[in-house]
Amino acid sequence: MYFAGIDIGSITSKAAILKDGRVIGVRVIFTGYNAELAGWNVYRELLGELGLVASDVDKIVSTGYGRNSLSFVDKAVTEIICHGTGAHYLYPHVRSIIDVGGQDSKAMVLDEGGRVKDFAMNDKCAAGTGRFLEVMARALEVDLDAFGDISLKAEKAAKISSICTVFAESEVISLISKGEQRESIIAGIHESVASRISALAMRIGVREPVMMTGGVAKNRGVVKALEKKLRMTIEVSEYAQTNGAVGAAVLAMKL
Amino acid sequence: MKLLDEFHGIRDDPYTYGKKLKAERNRKIIGYFCSYTPEEIIYAAGIHPMRLFGAQGEITLADTHFQAYCCSLVRGALEGALKGKLNFLDGTVFPHTCDSIQRLSDVWRLNTSFGFFADVVLPVKLNSESARRYMTDVLSKFRNNLEKGFGRRIEDQHLRKAIDTYNHIRTYLEQIYSLHSENPHIISGSDVYAIVRASMIMDRDDLLDKLPAVVEGIKRGDTDADNGTKKRILLVGGICNHPDVYRILEKSGGSVIWDDLCTGSRYFSGIIDNSGDPVESLANRYMERPVCPAKHLSVKSRGEHLVNLVKEKEADGVIFLLLKFCDPHAFDYPHMKEYCNRQGIPCMVLEIEDRLPTEGQLLTRFETFMHML
Repeated sequence: MYFAGIDIGSITSKAAILKDGRVIGVRVIFTGYNAELAGWNVYRELLGELGLVASDVDKIVSTGYGRNSLSFVDKAVTEIICHGTGAHYLYPHVRSIIDVGGQDSKAMVLDEGGRVKDFAMNDKCAAGTGRFLEVMARALEVDLDAFGDISLKAEKAAKISSICTVFAESEVISLISKGEQRESIIAGIHESVASRISALAMRIGVREPVMMTGGVAKNRGVVKALEKKLRMTIEVSEYAQTNGAVGAAVLAMKL
Repeated sequence: MKLLDEFHGIRDDPYTYGKKLKAERNRKIIGYFCSYTPEEIIYAAGIHPMRLFGAQGEITLADTHFQAYCCSLVRGALEGALKGKLNFLDGTVFPHTCDSIQRLSDVWRLNTSFGFFADVVLPVKLNSESARRYMTDVLSKFRNNLEKGFGRRIEDQHLRKAIDTYNHIRTYLEQIYSLHSENPHIISGSDVYAIVRASMIMDRDDLLDKLPAVVEGIKRGDTDADNGTKKRILLVGGICNHPDVYRILEKSGGSVIWDDLCTGSRYFSGIIDNSGDPVESLANRYMERPVCPAKHLSVKSRGEHLVNLVKEKEADGVIFLLLKFCDPHAFDYPHMKEYCNRQGIPCMVLEIEDRLPTEGQLLTRFETFMHML
């Protein structure tokens, strides 16, 4: 029996397929302007990769901001519920999840059964999201995937005080012109992101064991900065970016 | 129901209603901002009390008078006044509640010219006999101010008639809430919202003429609401300027079955005993009505009221609607959340400005919350 989850995020779309309760494949593509098309494409590509056809799959659940744009799924569930479900399914000991995606960050606290007990979501600005990091990567002309490793080499973190993404970008540019080391600027950017996320997480009473999911969890620099701010150890899911899609597939299994 | 179109229309565009009332019936109109305004005294003077809810749209002129940390109600109201949208007013009244409303009163007095102007400096602590006497004195003073300002006498018999009218209006509004609470499929949340909202804008005699037909219509099932299963939600906060909250919540699988809002149940709570001195009777209602966080009854009163409402109305969860920069409610929220946590009542907070977050964001939060219930 195969079950699928499709997570259409603001920047990337993810798909995951479970067989007999085990994750057998995940895939990530850019969403682009057409959420429906992205959802269909990532799903079709994953099926192809696994040598499956659509009729092999029993049930599909969609999630993410584009969850309601797919007509071929059985149910649409919010990404908060899916991230909770996915993390709990793969790592049942986890009690708090911090999910940082492209356009928003979310924190949730789970009960023993993996149900979401409380959650908070940033909604007004890009501070503390993947998009913030993207803008900074462009200003620094550094590949975003290298951000984490570069920042870990920093001796100190530059101070970035603006919360506003545009103003923070000007701050970064003036740091560059002052000759500040790239490593410490990136470390400073990570601290800034971690401040926003930790404030969100503390508001709902984040508690260990904490797991980070979402695309930004792949950035070791942010994870480390966040550990320091929260004074907690943070586990990163093996399926950080695709955890929401895995959660959706788990929910499909329960339909 | 056809009758509700009128309520929706007035709710959508209160200023056009105000202008018409002035032009066609030559009514004197007094604007006010909060449910601590003694409307009955204004009505008894033959003046129309019309609630102002802040402006929709861009706020530019008001920003030269207010810092960004003032709420959108205060900034939006001043914006409307400075843009000339409130020129149909003959005056404004400001009951003493939060800091921002008091500053609005100052800026308003110095920068607008609507004629009559009054600060009604109500007591803050409402739990003593001296506060009750003080409340009565303040309301008497307001009565005198109105008499002088408009050159007309407000007799006790006028006040009694006003109290009677308002008692009827409040009873009908509570009845509409109860009908919806008993059966959320009988009428949509946004219809209920439009009725209560328009009730603060419309001529009160016209309103009282129409409410019985509204109640009958709801009972007959003339109103539509969608039939899906709905989680029962208690909406808590100050003002709600967003009809879309009700619609989006219903789309997410919930329904507001009661509220503790200044623009909701706090407006119609408290039937007045009309046998004694009318001003004392008015004061008594404010002393006994559920308080807003800008007033104090006891440390426990707001929390206990919330818990009681949840139990009495069989709510599945509570949504706190927090208007950004509303200090009293923001300071009150952690305390209220504690009450919810202690009683195991699921709750979520939604911070809003004059405009709602995008519908997608809101749906994600509401759907998640419904899933939690």
